[in-house]
Amino acid sequence: MSERLDNRLLAARTQRGLTQAALAELVGVSRKTINTVENGVFVPSTILALKLARALGEPVEALFSLPSED
Amino acid sequence: MLPVVAVAFISQQAAFLAGREGEAMRTVDQVQIGAWLLLSVALVLALATGGFWFRSAKVRALMEDEVTRANRAEAFRIGFLATMAGAIAVYVLTLLEPVTGREAVHLLMSIGIAAALLRFGVLERRALKE
Repeated sequence: MSERLDNRLLAARTQRGLTQAALAELVGVSRKTINTVENGVFVPSTILALKLARALGEPVEALFSLPSED
Repeated sequence: MLPVVAVAFISQQAAFLAGREGEAMRTVDQVQIGAWLLLSVALVLALATGGFWFRSAKVRALMEDEVTRANRAEAFRIGFLATMAGAIAVYVLTLLEPVTGREAVHLLMSIGIAAALLRFGVLERRALKE
């Protein structure tokens, strides 16, 4: 099972003019968490992924995807 | 912060490891061992609970988010493995020279706590890196 998760959180966040700190406050986590998710260091839980999607007004599958297998 | 505490904790052990074999324990040695035990308990509690005991519940919840919990779990895993490796090393050492129960406990606790602290510190630093 792949432990990597591609995400376009950075693009979606900057598109809305949000800083990491602002998004963190919206979701109720620390800036560190946003940073690690954006950098692919940390794979968020389903709950956090859904919260991020809701805060950014996008479906969760538009933010996160499994890496292609090739 | 935690890597600094880890280094201080490890350097505190230098006096213990350079112990005077065969000499009676002085009062200063007992104080030193007591201080080590207190620091060890405080560090284990800080690692287990995340610390921030005197902050509000909201701050504690924020500091205890998913990434921190994952980093802490990984730090405990490394601490456990280091303790097991240390236990094997102490076991081998007892074949060569006598090791008292107190010395063995001191070594194993120090190894486990230091390894967990260092790992947690490294992971937290990495998490904050842009």
